[in-house]
Amino acid sequence: MSLMAAARNRGMHIVAVCGGLCMLWATLIGTTQLQNRYTLPWILGSVLPCYFAGLFTWWHAPTSPVAKRLLLIGTWLSVTIAFRYSTTLLIRAFDWNLRPAPGALHLPADYGLQVLSQTCDLIVSILVVRLLALLPDGRYAFPYERRVLGALWGLLALPALLPLTGMSRLTVHYVVFYYPEAWLPGLGAALLVLRCLRAPAAGRRDIAALLPFAVPGAVLLLARGASRLFRTWQGEQGMLYFVGAVLGALPYVAMALAIVYAAFRHRLLGVDLVIRRSAVYGCLWIIINSWYLGMALTLGLTAGQYLPVGLSLFVAVVATALFQPLRARLNALAERHVFGKRLSRFELLVQFGTTLEHAYDLGRLAPRLATGLHEGLNLQWVRVRLGGEGLPVSVGEAGARPAGAGGLPAEPLGEFPLLYGEDVLGLIEYGPKAEGRCTPEDHDIGETLARSAALAVHNVRLAAELSARVEEVQRQAAELDASRARIVHAQDTERRRIERRLHDGIQQELVALVAKLALARSCLRRGGDIDAALTEMQDDAYRVIDELRELAHGIHPPILTDQGLVAAVTSCARRMPIPVTVHSEESLGGVRFALDVEESAFYLVSEALTNVLKHAAATHVAIRMARGGGRLLVEVRDDGAGFPTETTRGSGLTGMRDRIEAVGGELTITSGPGTGTVIRARLLERVRQEKQVREETRA
Amino acid sequence: MPDPLRVVIAEDHYLVREGTRRLLEDTGQADVVAAVGTAGELLDAVGRLRPDVVIADIRMPPGHHTEGIAAAHAIRAGHPGIGVVVLSQHANENYAFDLFRRGTDGLAYLLKERIGEVDELLRALREVVAGRSVVDPRIVEVLMGSHARAADAPLSRLTRRELDVLRHMAEGKTNRAIAESLRLSESTIEKHVNSTFAKLGLAEIPQLHRRVSAVLAYLRHTPTGPD
Repeated sequence: MSLMAAARNRGMHIVAVCGGLCMLWATLIGTTQLQNRYTLPWILGSVLPCYFAGLFTWWHAPTSPVAKRLLLIGTWLSVTIAFRYSTTLLIRAFDWNLRPAPGALHLPADYGLQVLSQTCDLIVSILVVRLLALLPDGRYAFPYERRVLGALWGLLALPALLPLTGMSRLTVHYVVFYYPEAWLPGLGAALLVLRCLRAPAAGRRDIAALLPFAVPGAVLLLARGASRLFRTWQGEQGMLYFVGAVLGALPYVAMALAIVYAAFRHRLLGVDLVIRRSAVYGCLWIIINSWYLGMALTLGLTAGQYLPVGLSLFVAVVATALFQPLRARLNALAERHVFGKRLSRFELLVQFGTTLEHAYDLGRLAPRLATGLHEGLNLQWVRVRLGGEGLPVSVGEAGARPAGAGGLPAEPLGEFPLLYGEDVLGLIEYGPKAEGRCTPEDHDIGETLARSAALAVHNVRLAAELSARVEEVQRQAAELDASRARIVHAQDTERRRIERRLHDGIQQELVALVAKLALARSCLRRGGDIDAALTEMQDDAYRVIDELRELAHGIHPPILTDQGLVAAVTSCARRMPIPVTVHSEESLGGVRFALDVEESAFYLVSEALTNVLKHAAATHVAIRMARGGGRLLVEVRDDGAGFPTETTRGSGLTGMRDRIEAVGGELTITSGPGTGTVIRARLLERVRQEKQVREETRA
Repeated sequence: MPDPLRVVIAEDHYLVREGTRRLLEDTGQADVVAAVGTAGELLDAVGRLRPDVVIADIRMPPGHHTEGIAAAHAIRAGHPGIGVVVLSQHANENYAFDLFRRGTDGLAYLLKERIGEVDELLRALREVVAGRSVVDPRIVEVLMGSHARAADAPLSRLTRRELDVLRHMAEGKTNRAIAESLRLSESTIEKHVNSTFAKLGLAEIPQLHRRVSAVLAYLRHTPTGPD
């Protein structure tokens, strides 16, 4: 609230101060001097809410006509009641008799007082009409409004003129006070409805939102006016009259509520100030609760007049209890409308929990979490960083983070690290609350959400790992299929080769041997010497044996079965035409591995040695075998020509890899032109028991 | 003509078994007292008949593994006077190492086809009966041609000439035969033989055994070979 604006509204200041003082004064003399039992209920139930609502609205929107009018009504109600009590007090104090003798003309004093009092009442009524009819902005929208509302001021002539026509005092009172008070708000509500109907679509919703307050308000005022009629029938003590009086305070409350609500919920009054919602809520709270107090007091007091003390106390208690739910409902309503959907801690957790169900995407989770915390805890800003520890980092922000010192973002008020075990999976940073301070409860919510979020991130991490593994497994499965096919193919090729050697080599040699035997026999029958032929056949037989031995060795070296890998490799190395050094760890001595492991390792060595002879032109080969970490390591290193590993795709290399991978091993080939070649296999070390050895070899 | 050798043959293949028996008996230098098909029967026959020498197939039922070698060890342990010739289809030195791993005396490792050269077989039988040792020339040939060397092998200390002499020793030749082969004097060969023994740490053991031990040291020259 700037000083300039305050200066422009000096008049309104005076009005506001007057209203406050009058209300205090009226309360003081009403309760202490006049002992009027309606004082407190009336002031608390209608004047005070009206005045405060006006004061509050005007304070925040000093230029708004609606705010001014509301404050004016509140003040006017205070002034009127103060004026009335004051004159009553004066009349009592000086024991003036202002009543004219029957049949005489009105005394000027009496007449003046009456006119003044009635004019005051009428002004309140007219102000109420204008207030209602011109909601929400307080300005004329249609020409007919100006004419109708302008004409209303003409009613002010009635209190002065009507007594002159000789109309009875009571009738005048009804005409200028009770009736207008009853029907004029109805007129206001009717005008508002009309305005709503005629308004352009965009504005209609704003006006319609006010109708639930304005229309019942008008109806209630009508009811109140009706209760005045009952007074003429039953006197001021009539039960219906009291009911009317109780209800009569409602319209002012409803009106006040409508204005405050309109002002700050929809900014209908052009209030673009940032107003603390808690203050708005506080104001509404005061209005609702003072009205509640007024109601309860009125009922209690009324009952006290007719009933014994105990019973009236009971009635008061019952009344209080009866109004309590209404008050609670109103309070809740006000809170919801003012603060919007402020989530309870439970709701926040539930909402976030639902979010977590779909939290496979951290990029979406981070902003949701930030927004949830920002709205749920009413924080100025929240920054959420999720990820890390092998996950991509996602950042979500809600609210505007002000700049801090040196152009950097402002320091956070606090932060919650997202911990899962030792891993830091993210960080929640937050600024101060938009209003008030962070309570321990807020802190707990933040911490709980941080824990949940950490779990969510951990889940995402698990999911990512899982999908990576699934991919890996799929890739391996595909590779396995391919390598299995290659192995089968290689086996088929090998079988064909053996078949060829048996048929085309060994069988042919044996057939030749049989032929030579037949020749020798016929030679013998002729009495010839077959000694040379037999020697030749024996040599042939030796050759067949050698060939058969070689073939059998090629299919499966018996030394591998009988004595194991090291013996087989050493033996293989000895048969190489170039120097081959074999290093095997002591720990390998006498150890027998599973048959397939030994076979694969031996196959690798013999294939590698074959390759060395075929391609490498090496002068030396070193074979190394070792154990470690549950693995059997076999390495063949030559000093030959080498080859570019990226471009070489020989079936020999692929076959080696297939054989090694088929038994769960891995093969690395390091080579380059001129640097020699290192072929290294790491096989899962599965040791055989001796019994198993025998069984397997027998099979 | 010396007394015929009392021989027990263990061979699971019937034709080979009977063929060997007839070949030996035809020479008149051997008397086959039993011909059996399994290692168990062999040990039983040896216990009962106390032959001079045993010819055993390396692979026999039930395992078709190296039952012959195991039986040879058992016979040598139980009856040190009985020589054992193991016939093997494996031209692989590691089986020979396996046979000789507890000592070389009275043991021979021959390839099976040697039964076609009955004189050679008989010579081997007499050698093992005499407590000496024989290794098939084919095995020696493999080792001679081998380039595989361990840096710390005792053979690395031998000169080229000493290695040549050793190779001839491994083929079962006498110093004179070696001298003829290498066209050197017998005394020169003797010098080489003695220095070889010294380098292999064999100077202290009796003459006859030294020759075979030297050969086996030669055979077992890789660090990974069985002991």
